[in-house]
Amino acid sequence: MVHKKYTKKQIAVGVLASLGTIVILTFYLWHITENIRLGYEIGRCENSLQTLREEVKKLEAKKAALLSLERIEKIAKERLGLAEPKEGQVIYEDF
Amino acid sequence: MRIFEPKAMNLPIEAYQKKVRKRTRILSFLLTVWAIGIFFRLVDLQVFLHPGFKAQVAKQNQDRTKILPERGTIYDRNGKILARSLPVPSLFYSPPSEESFELQMKTIRRLETTLGLSAKDVERIKARLQKRSSFAWIKRKVDAATAERIMALGLNGVSSRAEPKRFYPQGTLAAHVLGGVDIDDKGQGGIELAYDEVLRGKEGEVLILRDVKRREYYSEVLKEPHSGNDITLTIDENIQYITQRELGKAVLENRADWATAIVSRPDSGEILAMASCPGFDPNVYPPSPEEEVNRATRFNYEPGSTFKIVTASAALENRAVGLNDIFDCSEGLIAVPGSPIRDHKRFGLLTFPQAVVHSSNVGMILVGQRLDPDAFYRLIQAFGFGRRTGLDLPAEEAGRLMPPEKWSRRSLPALSIGYEISATAIQILQAINIIANRGLLIRPKIVSAVEGSTAVGLKEPAPPVPVISEKTAVTLIKILEQVVLEGTGQAARINGYAAAGKTGTTQKIDPELKRYSSSKHIASFVGFVPVERPAISVIVVLDDPQKADHYGGQIAAPVFREISYQVLRYLRVNPQKELMKAALVTNPGREGDR
Repeated sequence: MVHKKYTKKQIAVGVLASLGTIVILTFYLWHITENIRLGYEIGRCENSLQTLREEVKKLEAKKAALLSLERIEKIAKERLGLAEPKEGQVIYEDF
Repeated sequence: MRIFEPKAMNLPIEAYQKKVRKRTRILSFLLTVWAIGIFFRLVDLQVFLHPGFKAQVAKQNQDRTKILPERGTIYDRNGKILARSLPVPSLFYSPPSEESFELQMKTIRRLETTLGLSAKDVERIKARLQKRSSFAWIKRKVDAATAERIMALGLNGVSSRAEPKRFYPQGTLAAHVLGGVDIDDKGQGGIELAYDEVLRGKEGEVLILRDVKRREYYSEVLKEPHSGNDITLTIDENIQYITQRELGKAVLENRADWATAIVSRPDSGEILAMASCPGFDPNVYPPSPEEEVNRATRFNYEPGSTFKIVTASAALENRAVGLNDIFDCSEGLIAVPGSPIRDHKRFGLLTFPQAVVHSSNVGMILVGQRLDPDAFYRLIQAFGFGRRTGLDLPAEEAGRLMPPEKWSRRSLPALSIGYEISATAIQILQAINIIANRGLLIRPKIVSAVEGSTAVGLKEPAPPVPVISEKTAVTLIKILEQVVLEGTGQAARINGYAAAGKTGTTQKIDPELKRYSSSKHIASFVGFVPVERPAISVIVVLDDPQKADHYGGQIAAPVFREISYQVLRYLRVNPQKELMKAALVTNPGREGDR
C-alpha cells in the first residue's frame, strides 16, 4: 500500500486548522459556561436588588411607625417630661 | 491470508463479483431501511411527540410563576406613609406523594401549637389533603421569626412563600379614611375599597429556568406586572392626629356614645382630617361593625340648629327678612301643628340676626314661615342636602330630604330649625364652606393625586357653583361671627382669631317611645376660622353625651376651639394683632388661653 506524503506546508495548515477548531470549540464551551455563570450571577444580583428594595421599603415603614405622632407625644411627655406650651409661651413671627 | 479474495474463496472472478454486488445491494438496502427508520423516528420525536416532551422538559426545568403586583402606597398630603404593603412569609404544605394521609396529618399537627392553628384551620387543611390537593395554606402572613423557626424544623412538604401584607405604620390614625384589606390584600373599606382597582395593580408572569438542583439560572419576564398606583390623600397626618386626640378626649369627658369631626380647607374643599370615635387599628382588620362605621359620611342625623344657617341663607337670599326685623320670642314657645316647639329659654324680642345668634327656635320658625316652601326646598338642595357630596369614600349616605309635596303642615317649621331632614356631618360641613367661600359650593375631596405605572386620572373636580350671593354670605358670616362672640357658640372663641360658626343640639328619637327624647341628644358645632380668609372649617358632632351639659355650645364648641387653635398654630396662621390685644385687655395674663 502506498502512503501519500504530505508536505510540511500541508501539515502546518492541518495543525493550524485543528488548533483553530479546538480554540473555537473551547471558546464556544467557555462562552456557554460563562453565560450560565453570568446567568446565576445576574439572578443573584436581581434577588439581592429586590431584597434591598424591600428592605428600604420596610425601613421606610418602620421609620413612619417610629415617627408616629402618638408615639412621639408619649415619649415627649412621659420620658422627656415635656408639656404643651403654657400661656404666653407661644411667640408668633411678625407679631 | 486474504479470505475475501477470489482465490481464497475458490471462485471464478465473475461469480465473485456477482456475490460482492449481491452483498452490496443487501447492505445498501439494510442501511437505507435503517436510515428511513431513523428518519421516521426523528420525525416522530421532533414532530409528533414534541409537545409531550417539551412539556416534560418544561416541568423539569421551567417554572412559570406569577409576579404579584405591589399594592400602591397611601400617603398623606406631606408624603408621610399611611399604608404600605410589605412582603411577609406565608407557610404552605405540598403533601409528599410517598407519604400516607396519616403521616401528612401528623406533620400538620406538629405545627398546631407553634403556629397557633385553630381546630378550624386544621379541619381546612385536612379537607384539602383528603381531596388529594397538592397545595394547602398552613398559615398566611406570619412574622419572619416564626417562619424561620418552622422552616428550621425541616418538615417534609412544608414551605414558605413571600406574600404582601398591608401595614398601617400610624396605627389608628385616619383608620376610617384608610379602611382596610382582607387576607388577599383586597380593599374592604375606606380608600382601600374605593380605590381598590387603582391600588391593586396587575399580575405579571415570569419564566424561570432551573438546573438539575432546581437552582435558577435564567429568568425571563413574560408579562410585566403593573404595580398598584400610589395615592396621595388631602389628609394631613398632624391635623388628623390633633383631631383624633381632641375628639377622643371629648368622648371620654362627655361620656358620649360616639363622635365625629372633620377639618377641611373651605377654598379647595380638601379634607385635612376626618375622625370617628370609636376608632380601630386597620392592622387588625376587620374591626367590629360598630367601630368600622365612618360616622362622618355614613351616619345621617337631624342636624338641628346647625341647619339654621340654611334657613337664614334662604331668608336673606329671598329677601324674606331684613336685618332689623323683630321677632317676638317672649313666649318661649310657638304653636305649630302637632306639639308646640320651645326655646330653651324666653328671649323676648329678637332681631333676625339675634334669632340666629341665640339659636332661637321660635325666631327661626317665624323666619321660616316667611319663606316660600318651593324656594326653600330648592335652596336646601342647592346646598347639597339630600344627595351625596361625591367624596371618594365608599357607602356615603345621601341623607333624607322630602320634596314639598310630601311635607306636612309641621314640616316647614320643623325644617327651619333642622328637623324632618337628615344629613351627614360632611354635608353640614359642605354647607358652612359655602358660607365661608362667599356663596360658592366647592365639593369636598380627599384624594389629591394618583401616581404610578398605569395612568389613572382623577376625576375632574367640579367647578365651583354659586349657591347664594356674596352679599348674603357676607351678611351671614357677620351673624355667625356674633354667634361665637356673644351667642350660643362662645365656647368656640379662640383668642386672637375671629371665628364664625353655629351650634346645634338635636333631640334624638327614642326608639322605644317613638318620639323625641328629652334625655338623648346629638351635640354639634360647625364653623370656620379666621373669618376674613378662612384657613379651616371644622365640624364636631358628639352623640348622646351623658353629662348634664349636653348643648352643642357647651360640649362641641370647646372641641372646635381646641382643634382649631392647634391646627391654626400648626398651619402657621398667625393671630390678628388687634384681636390678640383685645383678648389681653379682657383677660390680662391669659394670652395663650383659648
